[in-house]
Amino acid sequence: MTSGRPHVSLIDGLPPRFGAYCCELWEFRQVAVMLIQRDLIVRFRQTFFGLAWLLFKPLMLMLVLFFAFGFLAGFDRNSAAPYPLTIFCGVLPWYLFTNAVPDAMNSLLSQMHIMQKTYFPRAIIPLAVVIVDGIEFFVAWLLFVLGCIWYGYVPGWQVVLFPVLCLQLFLLVASIGLWLSVLNVRFRDVGNLVPFLMTIAFFVTPVGYTLNQIPSEWQLLCSMNPLVGIIEGLRWSLLDGASGFPLVSWALSTIITLLASVLAVRQFLAVERFLVDLA
Amino acid sequence: MNDIVIDASGLGKRYRLSHKTRADSLKLWARNLMRAGLRGTSSADTEDFWALHDVSLQLHRGECLALVGRNGSGKSTLLKILSRVIPPTQGQARVRGRLVSLLEVGTGFHPELTGRENIFLNGAMLGCSRSLISRRFDRIVAFSGIERFLDTPVKHYSSGMYVRLAYAVAAHVEADILLIDEVLAVGDAEFQEKCLQSLQRQLQDGVAMIVVSHSVTRLHRIAKRVAWLRRGQIAEIAEASSNLLQRYLEDDCGVG
Repeated sequence: MTSGRPHVSLIDGLPPRFGAYCCELWEFRQVAVMLIQRDLIVRFRQTFFGLAWLLFKPLMLMLVLFFAFGFLAGFDRNSAAPYPLTIFCGVLPWYLFTNAVPDAMNSLLSQMHIMQKTYFPRAIIPLAVVIVDGIEFFVAWLLFVLGCIWYGYVPGWQVVLFPVLCLQLFLLVASIGLWLSVLNVRFRDVGNLVPFLMTIAFFVTPVGYTLNQIPSEWQLLCSMNPLVGIIEGLRWSLLDGASGFPLVSWALSTIITLLASVLAVRQFLAVERFLVDLA
Repeated sequence: MNDIVIDASGLGKRYRLSHKTRADSLKLWARNLMRAGLRGTSSADTEDFWALHDVSLQLHRGECLALVGRNGSGKSTLLKILSRVIPPTQGQARVRGRLVSLLEVGTGFHPELTGRENIFLNGAMLGCSRSLISRRFDRIVAFSGIERFLDTPVKHYSSGMYVRLAYAVAAHVEADILLIDEVLAVGDAEFQEKCLQSLQRQLQDGVAMIVVSHSVTRLHRIAKRVAWLRRGQIAEIAEASSNLLQRYLEDDCGVG
């Protein structure tokens, strides 16, 4: 062989190991970059308002929620921080969750034609989708920044926890997305069920309200939803929460998120090689 | 001297043919699961079908192996296993070096993207780095002959332009092994000739290939050996200069 030490790979139909799989993900990172670029370009091509859509949708949701919970229900009266900012801390993570989970879930099926013709670690497809939605998520925080300027509000030192909470949110979204994406290939029922569950999840997640506005005996049950700890954590981190750090809900969220990620990765690695045969 | 780039032994691919409604919904799945739990397995309702069975072959550096066989004889299944699109049920294969599979022209092409954007996207799908594509960009464009439409979304391309661009990318990848499935039959006669010449050049550079094609005349020009697949098994393997291709052609056209 002329080209130094050639790469030798063994095709034996056995499931990949986690470490080797991660190395392979890195090897094929170019595919992820191209898929992300493609999605970003295609999303805004031939749209008149282009990037403005990223801000418009969460802004409208915030205004509607402000009208419903702040104006009609009067939840804003005992809020220390400007209530629209409180809602943004719920709306923005919710938006990532409600976009990225279904997007990731459908990603493997919609890219099956590529998977049938070439090999790369399949996890790249759902992960790239989550990253694209994640980029939109960060752009949308511009709304929060504008809101802070409008109200003359400056976050305190607690803001250092913001990246940690974002990471936790990504891990949660990616885990659920990975798991649902393989499940959706086998059972298309999932594609019908999940949008419906999303609607329900919206009402049991403190997006337009805060955790301490629900009766205290229900708060623990509500915190079983891993989004609660993240949203309440973000409120504490950015709005200098008067009610102290939401330790219980954040701890629960962390445990559930880590558990979900381990289960999702195990499930994905176990069935990844059969995806084309199953579709 | 070890110049074997693909060493496959005993490769097999089994599919289960179900003779009743497939459990595509959770309800059916749950029902089948309960039944299976009650009486052991439900294998009585399924039949094994070996799309590929006990296939062993070796491919050397700079060699071109042609696969011939009728529809459903397992040619594409073999290429898909070697390109890791589907896993084998049995056996294993050792692959030395960078393998690029051209099971289709223009894998990953997106209609909304321009020709330029698709060159990079498709290049990545074929496992090329961005810098490699950048370096060969001008050659790819020249090969395709669609300079004027480089910044037009490919949804506006004619089908001929589309495959020319797609094949141009494929012809410029850096590979040690190429797996090619029927993708040579694209474009007009002049373009096909160009493709064949580029393949011959790559063979001289030491690239190994497995080519599936129904066009026997074209196989004669590049293939050194021919493997004849019949019902998922290698029926015969011989030099391309032997009369195997001729016999295959007669068998294929005759009653069989």
